[in-house]
Amino acid sequence: MAHIEEHKETQIAQTEKQNYVMLNLGKTPDYGMPAFIQVVKRSLSLELLKGLGVTFREMINGLFRGKMHTTKYPFEKLPIAPRYRAIHEMLRLLESGHYRCIGCGLCEKICISNCIAMETRYDENQRKEVSEYTINFGRCIFCGYCAEVCPELAIVHGGRYETAGEQRAGFSLFEDMLTPIDKLKEQKEFAGFGSVSPNADENIKKTPLAY
Amino acid sequence: MDALMIGTIIKILIILLIVSAIAGFGTYIERKVLAFMQRRLGPMHVGPFGLLQIAADGIKLFTKEDIIPQNANKFIFSLAPTITAATAFIAMAALPLFPTFTIPEALPLIGGAIVPSVIADINIGILFILGTMAAGLYGPLLAGMAQSNKWGILGSARTAVQFLSYEVVTGLSVLAPIMLVGSLSLIDFNDAQIGGIGSWLIWQQPVAFILFLIAGFAETNRTPFDLLEHEAEIISGYVTEYSGLRWGMFFIGEYTNMVTISIIAAVVFCGGYNDIGFVSGWLLFILKVVFFFFLMLWVRAAWPHVRPDQMMWLCWKVLMPLAVVNVVITGIIIML
Amino acid sequence: MFEQIAFYIFSVLTIGLFLVTVFSKNVLYAMTSLASGMVLIAGFFFLVGADFLGVVQLIVYVGAVMALYAFGMMFFNVTKDLKEKTTSNIWVMIVGVSVALLMTLMFGGVVNPEAIYASLPINSNMTNPQAVGMALFTKYLVPFEVAAIMLLIAMIGGIILAGKKMDTSLTNIEDEELQRKDVK
Ligand code: SF4
Ligand code: SF4
Repeated sequence: MAHIEEHKETQIAQTEKQNYVMLNLGKTPDYGMPAFIQVVKRSLSLELLKGLGVTFREMINGLFRGKMHTTKYPFEKLPIAPRYRAIHEMLRLLESGHYRCIGCGLCEKICISNCIAMETRYDENQRKEVSEYTINFGRCIFCGYCAEVCPELAIVHGGRYETAGEQRAGFSLFEDMLTPIDKLKEQKEFAGFGSVSPNADENIKKTPLAY
Repeated sequence: MDALMIGTIIKILIILLIVSAIAGFGTYIERKVLAFMQRRLGPMHVGPFGLLQIAADGIKLFTKEDIIPQNANKFIFSLAPTITAATAFIAMAALPLFPTFTIPEALPLIGGAIVPSVIADINIGILFILGTMAAGLYGPLLAGMAQSNKWGILGSARTAVQFLSYEVVTGLSVLAPIMLVGSLSLIDFNDAQIGGIGSWLIWQQPVAFILFLIAGFAETNRTPFDLLEHEAEIISGYVTEYSGLRWGMFFIGEYTNMVTISIIAAVVFCGGYNDIGFVSGWLLFILKVVFFFFLMLWVRAAWPHVRPDQMMWLCWKVLMPLAVVNVVITGIIIML
Repeated sequence: MFEQIAFYIFSVLTIGLFLVTVFSKNVLYAMTSLASGMVLIAGFFFLVGADFLGVVQLIVYVGAVMALYAFGMMFFNVTKDLKEKTTSNIWVMIVGVSVALLMTLMFGGVVNPEAIYASLPINSNMTNPQAVGMALFTKYLVPFEVAAIMLLIAMIGGIILAGKKMDTSLTNIEDEELQRKDVK
């Protein structure tokens, strides 16, 4: 019991008023007089009407108090957590607008499903330049290793998660993943593999199970 | 043809068209109400507020492939849905809907026709309705047995169980009001409660009313007792192998039965279509029927299913003794 | 006019359906035609104005045949034809024909229209259920009560036969114990 008490002391438990009620239903009688008494007791205390009351209250809540849960999905989308590993994006340097990728090839090496293909060459300034870069999303398992290994934070996971495609091999080219130059201001850093969502504190709840 | 004859034909058309439309519309209402009770929106995209969803569903049902399983008994398999749909509408023949009225002379062709409140005022109305609705359960029974599918057989076994359980309760629960009114005609029931809310039979017969509602839920396979097609236990029960229009006919039958039970409850226990003060009986009648229909959906959202053995236990060990006691007490009070 | 047409339609349908009941080898067909034949007989009651009896016929037989279906479901595969084990056709013939003969003789007296008279003539002041009640509780009171007592006895007998071991719930017995019981 001590750890339950401990739990109650935490800040979350105090700020969020959670009233879990332990129901003591006792043993259900099988037959005979106890069963009969239970039936009569339950019928007379109108337990069934309480159930009706709950659903009706929820209907009023939903209809008139604006507590509908429905998200009209293709038209509205819920925000996804920043750590979510969706379709990749290639980021740009904020100062120059040049793409960040230095063509080191680490992502290609580490990709466990071997779906990144890239070619590099030296440009006129003897800098490495990415000439070809594709990710085969038909094979990518969104493990996130490429984003983790990238030394320049160039390849990251974006927020586009609707990945259904009509073809078996859905390739994505470098240009498709690259932040458009006019959207440079809106480019966001990837919070990273394993980072917590910004509202993580609100989402923490005490579990009713004491184990 | 005299005025009453034309009126009766109009009434038949009204019932066939409007009630079957309501039965279709009932599916929409049901989905909406269930959705609201779970704080969802329900069908939204076909037409404004999803109102045309019925049309979309109708088109879908009509154009779906009509499958008859290989080992099924083809004749009985195709007969079963018609039994459910037909008996549901036959039961409507003895059901009073709205007061008798005369169509104004101004209208061409049908002007002056007297539309009776009930198509066939046989003087055993309520027994006839309950009898035909009982015959309607042959639909699920035959459907389940003809499809050579174990879930179907389970569904029809449960049909038999359910039928043999609730039928006694339905009969005994309406018996007490019948004794009070002294007639089996629903018109007489209506006329007996002409004096406002205070004269409703529900105040004299609360136990019978509750018993009738419970048995009515069983009769229409509504949720606490929808053993016949309980998805979590027996896939879809008697409709497992049905598709397309045949499946749709089962559902038209079920929703028509829901309307019928709502109307009986309104007429027998809640004052029928009598005016109260200045409020028109038409409006009140519609409100009452809508309330009972809503109650069925509401209960579906709130309460869990019962098991077949619980259903039998409830009907035979709780409801039937209650109904018998109720009948005996009513008899004693009438005699005093 | 309408009554006669209806009468003949009902007659042909009823006889046809009962023939199917007798001759069909498929349990499902046999029971379904039995049920619909019984329902159609209610039509005759409606034709002669005995509404109450018609509805009673409907309700009683719908329920009764439903119980028959339950047995059919438990004993046979209803979608297959049944292979009957008739060992001696000759005996079936003899019994069948003699029963038919007996029936004809029994109802033969009725064919003579003079012999038909109503022991309780229709009273036009009374509604249908009232008339039935009058007949049952005055002239036929004793047979009615005797029938009621017989039904009561049958019900108690049924309860006693079926009620053995009803107080133990199978779901509450542990599996192993159940298996041990099966072995015994
Ligand atoms: S997420 Fe994993 S599988 Fe996909 S490209 Fe990156 S390393 Fe390869
Ligand atoms: S690891 Fe990063 S910098 Fe290196 S090639 Fe891949 S995306 Fe470019």
